[in-house]
Amino acid sequence: MSKIEKALGKARLDRGNLQLVPVPGGAATPAGTALVAHRAAHPETIANMSAGESKLLTPDDLSAARIIQHERIEDPVIQVFRGLRTKVVQQSQGQSSVVLVTAVSKESGSSFVARNLGAAFAFDAGKTALLMDCNLKNPSIHRWIPHASGPGLMDYLDNPDLDLAGIIRPAGIPRYRAITAGAPRKIPGEYLSSLKMRRLMETIRIRYSERYIIVDGPPMSDLADIRVLSEFADYVLIVARYGRATSGQIASCLNAVSDRKLLGIVFNDEPYFPRLR
Amino acid sequence: MQMHTEQMASALIHELFHSRRLVVGLFVALNVAALALGSIWPKSYTASTSILVDERNIVQPLMQGTAVPTEVADRGRNAREVIFGRKIMDRILENGGWLASHPNAEEKERLIEEIKKRTTILSAGRTIIKIEYRDSDAERAFRTTQKFAELFIQESIAAKAAESSAAFDFIDKQAQEYQDKLTRTEAQLAELRSANLDARAGTEAEVTARIGELQTRIERATQDLKEAEIRGAALEKQVSGEVEVTTAATREGQFRARIADLQSRLDTLRLSYHDTHPDIVQVKQQMRDLVEGINAERERREQYRRSGLAETDQSALSNPVYQQLRREASQNQLAIEALRGRIADSQQRLLQEIGRGRLLHMGDARLAELTRDYQVNRDIFQDLLRRRENARVSMNLDVERQGPTLKIQEPATLPLAPSGLNFWHFVAGGTLLGVLIPTGLLMVRLNLDPRIRIGSAIATQHKVTVVAVVPHMWAPTELKNLRLEIMALSLAVGGTVAMAMVVSVLRVLKVL
Repeated sequence: MSKIEKALGKARLDRGNLQLVPVPGGAATPAGTALVAHRAAHPETIANMSAGESKLLTPDDLSAARIIQHERIEDPVIQVFRGLRTKVVQQSQGQSSVVLVTAVSKESGSSFVARNLGAAFAFDAGKTALLMDCNLKNPSIHRWIPHASGPGLMDYLDNPDLDLAGIIRPAGIPRYRAITAGAPRKIPGEYLSSLKMRRLMETIRIRYSERYIIVDGPPMSDLADIRVLSEFADYVLIVARYGRATSGQIASCLNAVSDRKLLGIVFNDEPYFPRLR
Repeated sequence: MQMHTEQMASALIHELFHSRRLVVGLFVALNVAALALGSIWPKSYTASTSILVDERNIVQPLMQGTAVPTEVADRGRNAREVIFGRKIMDRILENGGWLASHPNAEEKERLIEEIKKRTTILSAGRTIIKIEYRDSDAERAFRTTQKFAELFIQESIAAKAAESSAAFDFIDKQAQEYQDKLTRTEAQLAELRSANLDARAGTEAEVTARIGELQTRIERATQDLKEAEIRGAALEKQVSGEVEVTTAATREGQFRARIADLQSRLDTLRLSYHDTHPDIVQVKQQMRDLVEGINAERERREQYRRSGLAETDQSALSNPVYQQLRREASQNQLAIEALRGRIADSQQRLLQEIGRGRLLHMGDARLAELTRDYQVNRDIFQDLLRRRENARVSMNLDVERQGPTLKIQEPATLPLAPSGLNFWHFVAGGTLLGVLIPTGLLMVRLNLDPRIRIGSAIATQHKVTVVAVVPHMWAPTELKNLRLEIMALSLAVGGTVAMAMVVSVLRVLKVL
């Protein structure tokens, strides 16, 4: 059994429904490539991914994690993230892309925006989303996804034997995958600028071409990490929080990000009086 | 941060919700503070009275232009000064019972200042003076206001009488002074006129004419004198020349006649005798003597002429022409002397006339001065006499209280209901301020705080796309807490309003 077959076997265990699909006429096609090609050719395969999700988050879990839910269409937050998703899709012309979500300052809600943007992509049966936790100093994804224990990004970058499939986890939402930050390291920033990280990003981009990859980045105060991550990203979203970000901070962030990649500003956490039932 | 009105309203609503605890806290605190203040705020009772300054009584039209009524406007303006004067305030302190505790001077001063602060004096129109007094005791407010009006009227009438009396005294004193001045001027005029009797109308013209006549006379006499002197000189010369001619004609002629006779005798003798004949020699000798005599005569005449002396010669004196000239010269000399005397006399009289004219001028100036003083003093005196009579009438009007008087138009009444701020004002004010102050503070924060609260402001300021404005997403626990919080805040607001209403009702029912 080859290494790829081992990985696929493990992934099958995780996802349940993924099976190696034989490619007609191609005997020596690698198993991973065959899977991607099959998904690209048959979107219903992607839709069926949810059928085999090992454990889905309940509505209460999603509400507790403050993740939008497809059923609650009256929620204005859902409308906002759908709109944001549409903008990304329009900008990328339907191609999968890497979106870096960063914040003007700490606690601006960039992780919230990142996970909900991923969830919005996952609403669409023809798309999948992968959320990467690159906010290494203050990771958050592990707090809400099921089966968060296990290797994450840092472990993958640190351990050459670790397989990529080993760090991609179901997020508890159909068509939504996540990579946690992993075990904390002393100097996590160095891993982001490593060659392995670059290869990882290229691999993800190529191997999971139907996926929109959302990178939950650190705030703009970690400028070095942001510069590295923005190189991998196609688009950058900057999150500014209501009553927190100043005009000067926003101007500094805008100067640090290339205009070509800058998708825009997300003004987060505007006060909203909910329906109290 | 510059914001439009719509943005400001939107941001304000967001901020009100965002800072709901602060807003409700301030609302409750302000309402409670207002209720507490309203509860301890002392009640005040206001009594007022109106004083009419009656300037249209029956006497005034009769005395129009004669008596001068006191200006009403001045009364209105001065009412405050009169009422707040020490004299009235001392009486008010006594009347109001403030002196019962025997306050010292400093405490009295403080009490007076407090009373002044609680007293309002308004001039309503031209003729009404309104006095309002506020006190925590209704009875005392009534008594004090009543006393204010009473004392003000007394003081004003007394002041008015004193004023008109002082005016009369002053005018009378002035009239006396001018009468004295007039008397003095009259005496000086009489003295001047008696000292200058010829100082009458036309005298100056006469003096001028007289001076002119005298000057003409002097000029004429001077001219005549000059002519007479010239004629005298001419006559003197003529007299001298006639003497010479006469003298020359008499002696030399006689010598020459005798020489001619002797020459004819000599010629005759020479016909008969030789030159040595004694007769001839004698004749020749005689002729030589005569020639010498002629020479001696000529020399003598020359000496006289050089010495300038008139030669007196009996022969000349006997000359009729000489005598005629001498007579004319004598007469001329007499005329000269007469003319000189006349000129001196005229000059003397001219000097006298000039002196008289000078005196006349001085007298005229003094007379004009005295006359002017007299006329001015007389006019002023007559005017003062009229004014004195007017002042006397005004004084009598005040004494008889028939002039413009002060009457109580609306007497003070015992105030039954408290005035000023009452409890409802505090309730309403607390509620209003409880809303306005937190809102105002939030508006100030919105305008001054550099932190961004409007998404579109980012796009405007940085020319960047705001791709999404994400509302706050409420987690279930947050929602639960929010429900509790909203309930608590509503309870706080409702409780505050209810408390205000309950306290108000209790106040109305006089339970509190």
